[in-house]
Amino acid sequence: MVKSYIPLTLDECLKILNQNEVKIVAGGTDMLIQNRSHTSMPIGFKTDVLYISNIEELKKIYEDEEFVYIGSCCSLEDIMENELVPVLLRDTILEMGSPAIRHTATLAGNIGNASPAGDSLVPMYLLDTLVEVRSINNVRKVALKDFITGVRRIDLNMDELITKVIIPKISYSNGYFKKVGPRLSDAISKLSFAGLYSVSNGVLKDIRFAFGAVNVTVVRRRELEEKLIGKKISEVKEMIEEILKWFEEDIKPIDDQRSNKEYRKKISLKLLRSFIENIE
Amino acid sequence: MFLKDISISINKVDNEDKCSGKAKYVADYKLDGMLYAFTVRSSISKGNILTIEYPELPEGYFVVDHKDVTGKNIVKVIFDDMPVFTTGEITYLYEPISLIIGPEKEVLTDLVKRVKISYQEEEPLFDWTDSVIRYHFDKGEGLKAFENEEKIIFDYETSYQEQAYIETQGFIGYPEKDKVTLLGSIQCPYYVKNAVIQALGVDEDKVRIIQTTVGGAFGGKEEFPSLIGCQLAVAIKKINKPIQLIYEREEDMLVTTKRHPSRVHFEAVIKNNKIYGLKAVVGIDGGANIGLSGVVLSRALIACTGAYSIENLDISGDVFKTNTVPNGAFRGFGAPQMFFAIEMFFEHVAKTLGLDPLEFKLSHLAKQNDYTSTMGIFRDPVLMPEMVDKVIKESGYLAKRAQYEKEEFKGIGMSLFFHGCGFTGSGEQNHIKAKVKLKKDKDKVYILIAAVDMGQGVKTSFRKLVAHILDIDIERVIFDNPDTDFVPDSGPTVASRTMMIVGGIVARAAKEVKERFNEESFVVQKQYEQPDYIKYDEATFKGDAYPAYSWGVNVVEVEVDKDTYQVNVKKTWSVYDIGKAIDERIVMGQADGGLAQGLAYGYLEVMKHKQGKIMQKNMTDYIIPTAMDMCPMETYLFDNPYAYGPYGAKGVGELSLIGGAPAVAMAIEQAIKRKVFKIPVTPEYIMELIDNG
Amino acid sequence: MAKIKFKLNGEFQEIYTNPSRRLLDVLRDDFNLTGPKEGCGEGECGACAVLMNGEIVNSCSVPFANVINKEIITIEGFSKTKRYEVIKDAFAEAGGVQCGFCTPGMIIATESLLNKNPNPTDFEIKIGLSGNLCRCTGYNLIIEAVKIAAKEGEGLW
Repeated sequence: MVKSYIPLTLDECLKILNQNEVKIVAGGTDMLIQNRSHTSMPIGFKTDVLYISNIEELKKIYEDEEFVYIGSCCSLEDIMENELVPVLLRDTILEMGSPAIRHTATLAGNIGNASPAGDSLVPMYLLDTLVEVRSINNVRKVALKDFITGVRRIDLNMDELITKVIIPKISYSNGYFKKVGPRLSDAISKLSFAGLYSVSNGVLKDIRFAFGAVNVTVVRRRELEEKLIGKKISEVKEMIEEILKWFEEDIKPIDDQRSNKEYRKKISLKLLRSFIENIE
Repeated sequence: MFLKDISISINKVDNEDKCSGKAKYVADYKLDGMLYAFTVRSSISKGNILTIEYPELPEGYFVVDHKDVTGKNIVKVIFDDMPVFTTGEITYLYEPISLIIGPEKEVLTDLVKRVKISYQEEEPLFDWTDSVIRYHFDKGEGLKAFENEEKIIFDYETSYQEQAYIETQGFIGYPEKDKVTLLGSIQCPYYVKNAVIQALGVDEDKVRIIQTTVGGAFGGKEEFPSLIGCQLAVAIKKINKPIQLIYEREEDMLVTTKRHPSRVHFEAVIKNNKIYGLKAVVGIDGGANIGLSGVVLSRALIACTGAYSIENLDISGDVFKTNTVPNGAFRGFGAPQMFFAIEMFFEHVAKTLGLDPLEFKLSHLAKQNDYTSTMGIFRDPVLMPEMVDKVIKESGYLAKRAQYEKEEFKGIGMSLFFHGCGFTGSGEQNHIKAKVKLKKDKDKVYILIAAVDMGQGVKTSFRKLVAHILDIDIERVIFDNPDTDFVPDSGPTVASRTMMIVGGIVARAAKEVKERFNEESFVVQKQYEQPDYIKYDEATFKGDAYPAYSWGVNVVEVEVDKDTYQVNVKKTWSVYDIGKAIDERIVMGQADGGLAQGLAYGYLEVMKHKQGKIMQKNMTDYIIPTAMDMCPMETYLFDNPYAYGPYGAKGVGELSLIGGAPAVAMAIEQAIKRKVFKIPVTPEYIMELIDNG
Repeated sequence: MAKIKFKLNGEFQEIYTNPSRRLLDVLRDDFNLTGPKEGCGEGECGACAVLMNGEIVNSCSVPFANVINKEIITIEGFSKTKRYEVIKDAFAEAGGVQCGFCTPGMIIATESLLNKNPNPTDFEIKIGLSGNLCRCTGYNLIIEAVKIAAKEGEGLW
């Protein structure tokens, strides 16, 4: 039988990670399903398991001048209800799963799972989110976009744990998140889109777009966004066709039991078009 | 308790148990020494098993397969093409081969994994080319009406629909000396009993079937449980221990029966702006076993003219056999497929002729004393014109229809439909021969029938019916879950027959009980008596196919998102004639639930197979509506008592599912300004239509 | 194996078991609480819903390790409360119970919602029920039941 570790403090947790090869489970909403066996049977984990959801230190939300800090084991529901958290992330969480799922799911889990269809990842990429990762002797901060390296692949060493999600505080004129799922709740996205912009005197000070579920990871190209910064709104709107073409390469969805690639690609670009058309 | 009008609602009698968690469903039972059964299934779609090697079995573990069948290795469902366990031939992916049974699930999981099977694979057939049942009938001039005439032609397609009952399928069972008892989530205790008797080759007193509380069925537990029941009974007979066989969700979705996918080809000849002749060629995909497919096709063909009267018909249909999971009963049973097609056809023909679709439909509406598609007669009043007026008034249909014609991405649609209540033709008299018993014992009266309450409220409505007739308190009327040791065969809980037919017999029995009420203890048994007027020839499709018809109108209003093409159903309005509601609140619940399924069939639920494998195999991938997706619904009932139904009741259960798909499809069609030919009308399909339009 | 202390339906419990078992199985198999049901096994249908520290969770997706020091209330425990009586009567009045398989979960969802938000709007009710699938009712009568419960249960939440 596999061993289960259930630390109650972060120190205990990091010690265990230092000495053992384990699979990390936070809320369990993804892991239990991925590893499920049969009714009445324990979850079919093949390696030892480390349960981190009982560590209170990982459940705090606070801020300083520059950043908002979200403990990696906060429940999505708690994050959604906390006014310190950026609105875009809170709005996204409301569209995720269901109340029951939100009461146990965590950002640690969402990030650790690194699913191409992970909704919370999209606004986090948009907001230049960082993750804090700890091991017994080390702390490091990594940009989320660098941390997730592929489908269900993250830059996490065997002795490390995601401890915080760190979101730079920014102000902007308008933010937008659209989840396109097969129904209005409890659904895995077919595609999703997040955008924000900052406007001053008719000129774009900042503009960002991110697409979810249409490539192996969230699609965001800062260098393309920078081409638009400093331009007048009217100029940007005239460039719509060109901007859509910029994303032709990167929006590479697949066919699966939920939808097809033509739909996913086309609608992603339509959402981008609408977003740009509505800038004011 | 004296109720003035039986329709006045009462609290359902099983609310307490269901709300508190006390109600027991099959997975909630634990028997001492109970073993578990896992199913070994084929991993190919077509071929033969060459060799099968089981791992060495620890003590207390068993394999049960076709060699253990002591009776006939065929599941009793009309045709002899479904084995209890295959003897080697494989006709669909995941076809059951054997059961591995034992006390520990961990061990069973490992044993099943280690079974080694080698196959001689053959090319599976997925195209609809192998017709195993063909029906044809005509009316009036038949094909002659089409000679040298111009025709309007359209083709329609419908897809799988999965019942997605929240409680999956399953049984537990135990031996009692030489008797096998099964408890299960089922609609038809006697279907299961008769199938098990055949599979075991025993006398009828050696099998007992008991219905456990059923967590939803919708037809999915009509004939399919007979297969599980037979397998389990064979296992219990061999091993002589209690055994549980319950499907988890994925297994249930991959292997149980679904709604038949269909293709309908229509041709119409027009004279004086009316459809003078209608030709239909219908195909349904039966999957690997025929099962009830012929009956589903029958019902679909009989519904080919929709709610309309058409003089000349040439109607044919095929059941195609393919190497896919066998399809079966699902609320509506062929009618939802056909009503989608015929309603859209009327809509499209009208548009082709430049006529208003609603006016066009109303000009064809069937009336009392009109001939039906099979030259039967609509003997009872048809209130459809008044029902249409009512729904127009409540929904503002005409104004909205005109307004949305000029707008983008908003639409409203109306469907008109009926459902033939009960079994087709003389099925009741010739096949079912329903019997009921009422037992009076001191101050209690027991309802002894095989009808299953699967949520539709049979327990409440029947106790109410008897209490009302006997003018006694409902607490004195007892109706326990059917147990074949105690109840006669009143027939299956299907075809919207339960209140109309079985209730009708129970009402007659109750009247006799009332006359003899002073006697302390006695039993009244009554049998179905077919009204004289029902004469139907199954072979030629001629005569009165159904004793009565329930009618309905649905109006559905939608908005389609201009960017994502997602469909937002804003509101629905429905009017139904079901004769008489035995309990109005129960009927309203049925109305909401059926329409929710019908709408979702029309725009939301996607199930496809790829090389014979069902692609949507869990509740994450098979999308049914959540509370967030549901719009407000308004429902109105028109009384229209049917002489032979208790208090005038006709069939309720299926009617409300029939009209949702065409109504939502028509609304979407108006919203996107493109003709819709298949369901579900998903955003992906809408994108295709808009791009190619 | 681990010793897990938690509160179940008002009573403190301590059991020694595999922490990688699902909470649903511990409740059904060890405590014979068959109110929470398995409808899908993947946290989608809500038939397994229970209250964990007053909030609805899908017990099929909660590893027992995460139950340490938490308070779990199943429908059996909740059915002994005054709030339950109000909800149950509301479901009866609205006609929100058909096959009943989703019903315990729906009632748990109702309590979880009203506990946080005693006067929800229709939209908030829908969100509160959004993780509980029902195939029989089409939801409107259940939404109606929650509204009645909120109104009749004035002061209880």
